[in-house]
Amino acid sequence: MTTSGIIQTIVVLGIVAVALLYVLRQVIKTTRGKGDCGCGCGKDCKCNNKPGKEF
Amino acid sequence: MTENNNNTIRLLDHEPVGQTVQVVRVMGDGAFRQRLLEMGFVRGAKVTVLKNAPLRDPVEYMIMGSHISLRHSEAAQVEVTDRDAEFCDMEDAYQGIVETEVAAVDPMADNVLRVVLIGNPNCGKTSLFNNVTGAREKVGNYGGVTVDSKEGWFSIGGRRVQLVDLPGTYSLTEYSPEEMYVRTYIRDNHPDAILNIVDAGNLERNLYLTTQLMDMNIPMVVALNMWDELEKSGDRLDIEMLSRLLGARMVPLTAYNGHGVKDVLEATMATIDESEQETKHHNVNYGSLIEDSLKQLGEMCPTLDRYTVLKIIENDQHAIELLDSQSNGLEVKIAAADMRQRIERDYNSDITSIITDLKYGFVRGALAETLTPNPERAIEDTKPGYSMDRLLTNRWLALPILLVLMWLMFEATFTLGAYPQEWIENGIGWLGEWIGKAMPDGILKDLIVDGIIGGVGGVLVFLPQILILFFFISLLEDSGYMARAAFIVDRVMHRVGLHGKSFIPYLIGFGCGVPAIMATRTLENRRDRIVTILTVPFMSCSARLPAYLLLVAAFFTANQGLILMSIYLIGILIAALTAIVLSKTILKHDKTQFVMELPPYRKPTARNATIHMWSKGKQYLQKMATIILAASIIVWALGYFPRHDGQTPQEQIENSYMGQMGKAIEPIVAPLGFNWQMGVSVLTGAAAKEIVVSTMGVLYTGESDATEESASLKEKLQTATKPNGEHVFDPIVAYSFMLFILLYFPCIAALAAIRREAGTKWMVFEIFYTTAVAWIVSFIFYQVVARLI
Repeated sequence: MTTSGIIQTIVVLGIVAVALLYVLRQVIKTTRGKGDCGCGCGKDCKCNNKPGKEF
Repeated sequence: MTENNNNTIRLLDHEPVGQTVQVVRVMGDGAFRQRLLEMGFVRGAKVTVLKNAPLRDPVEYMIMGSHISLRHSEAAQVEVTDRDAEFCDMEDAYQGIVETEVAAVDPMADNVLRVVLIGNPNCGKTSLFNNVTGAREKVGNYGGVTVDSKEGWFSIGGRRVQLVDLPGTYSLTEYSPEEMYVRTYIRDNHPDAILNIVDAGNLERNLYLTTQLMDMNIPMVVALNMWDELEKSGDRLDIEMLSRLLGARMVPLTAYNGHGVKDVLEATMATIDESEQETKHHNVNYGSLIEDSLKQLGEMCPTLDRYTVLKIIENDQHAIELLDSQSNGLEVKIAAADMRQRIERDYNSDITSIITDLKYGFVRGALAETLTPNPERAIEDTKPGYSMDRLLTNRWLALPILLVLMWLMFEATFTLGAYPQEWIENGIGWLGEWIGKAMPDGILKDLIVDGIIGGVGGVLVFLPQILILFFFISLLEDSGYMARAAFIVDRVMHRVGLHGKSFIPYLIGFGCGVPAIMATRTLENRRDRIVTILTVPFMSCSARLPAYLLLVAAFFTANQGLILMSIYLIGILIAALTAIVLSKTILKHDKTQFVMELPPYRKPTARNATIHMWSKGKQYLQKMATIILAASIIVWALGYFPRHDGQTPQEQIENSYMGQMGKAIEPIVAPLGFNWQMGVSVLTGAAAKEIVVSTMGVLYTGESDATEESASLKEKLQTATKPNGEHVFDPIVAYSFMLFILLYFPCIAALAAIRREAGTKWMVFEIFYTTAVAWIVSFIFYQVVARLI
């Protein structure tokens, strides 16, 4: 395998590992019902911390 | 007290359409009776029979300007008499206000200025919340959209204030979960002010809740929402006098366009500022007998507020439980029971009816002084939208119209969405081709072209259809038609053992199962809740839509809208059958009664529909960039490794981890007409249903030759062949696959919601039950129905 091939394989495996960890994290968070309402938007919908409007 | 003896007392369910009668009393006891009283079925109230639903049940009634749907069996609990019977006790009920000294409070004691929004369902709380905080919470022209508290912030005069949107409620009794939620929230969080939103066009019913809030002795401002509609109707309201009579600031508001928002907030801040000094709070005057009892009991338990003391007299179990921690608790309970008996004897009625009648009498008296109805105002039948209502709920036309509207929605999703879909498809094809040429061959190029572009691109192309579908749903919801759809099909729901309130979770379920499962919190009976929770996933959520769109477009050339609609209808049918089986076996229980309010027809606004559409589109894109991207990468890796030299792409993918996994489950899915790629796709769909399509995108891209890289997934599925040269897909396999996707177990997020709301046992049941149903239905279709066609 060429050097470029080795580097590409390492990068790809890294990306796959990150994707795997991300999916695992999401699954754990969702099943625990923490931090995410689970609707798929990925945010805690109840906690709206936007500054809001000024009147 | 006078009883009218000249008129015959009859039951409401016997009254013909068009008849107006007066309520004498509501029979029975418990939650249903309480709810009817709260919604205005009080002694002397006039009620008009408007129409029967197309299937003869339920019946639409008008009371206090609201349209209420009651089944015949429920209306049979209301005794009525001829109109214009005299009920002197009602006329005498208004006895003004009493003043209570309220100690000064420091609004910043907990470092947060907190204002809570409270009002009847569908009075515009969330519209105001969104307007003030800049949030994008879901609003709809029907009650029950908000089931939880939502928090947001705004700034005024340099001060930062937290605004809390609470679920809509008709009262603060102990009978339904949303009532208890609001009551407990106020007790536990001590808001600095209540912002009570009332529908200015329906003051009599809305101000009933205001009378309860007044007793809580918390600074309060009343926002008269939908003020524009009141002005248009020609009615005149003396706001200043009504403010004086009720002892609370009142401000006109039109929340949907923001008119009056600043005035409402300024009034709220002024009220909070006043509470920093010792003030006099205004309460409803219930007459000397009850006022003396309140005073006497209040002295026995000085830590409790007037509202709780009144609830103790009313025999409210949650309020009585608070006495357990008091040293003189038993003494107070005995005294309260004595007082209750004396009041009931004196008024010759039960305590619930007495207090409700007095509150409504107070409101009626205040409005008699301040509200001048327009004598030339159109009668209800000629109000805008009402002539249309006669057509939409017509006995013979209502169901065909409902089906045609559904068909139109699905057909438009297909035909209008096809053009932008083609542009996106071309763009993705071009991108794949360009990267294919620009990058040297290698594993990284395979990941980007086959994994990321093939997977995410396959799902992304359906964004236009998702947007169009939600645009139409938003129009139907905002117009008030969705609640009419519930009215039309209520009898069917009743027959299958479903609760009328289940309609709202089902409706939300067409968008996403998670908020739909949470929306079942409004159901009082736990068995009703569980039946609804277990059947909601059969309402096809928007995440399954890309799979249907892909397969219908690829394998059905005609009647695409009809085919798509049939999938949704089969989901509804399976939900109904499941509900029948569950409610007659393991979840057997008496049918719960339910009063549904029919919202007025309103012109849907482009702004609202666009906001709804955009919020769904944003969620879809966010999912693309996160979970679907990650899942596509994993699926690609499982289909790419291990590598073997000298194999064709077909052999390579069949020998991959994914291929081995697919081959292992192939015997289970083969009787349904599925190959291993389809079997693997439904498995990966557990994370999110869109991943079914992205997995197919990855697996079929990997299988294709380099020259086909620019072909769309649709074309690849059309040309996919088995080793024997036969096509993998035909319309029968595609439909069988769609049935399986429709019915099999919900995604992880929905399962987690089921576990939270119903428990682990029911979540496990749901996984096995839905998968078994999906397998059996697909099997019957593929093996039996397909052979008959």
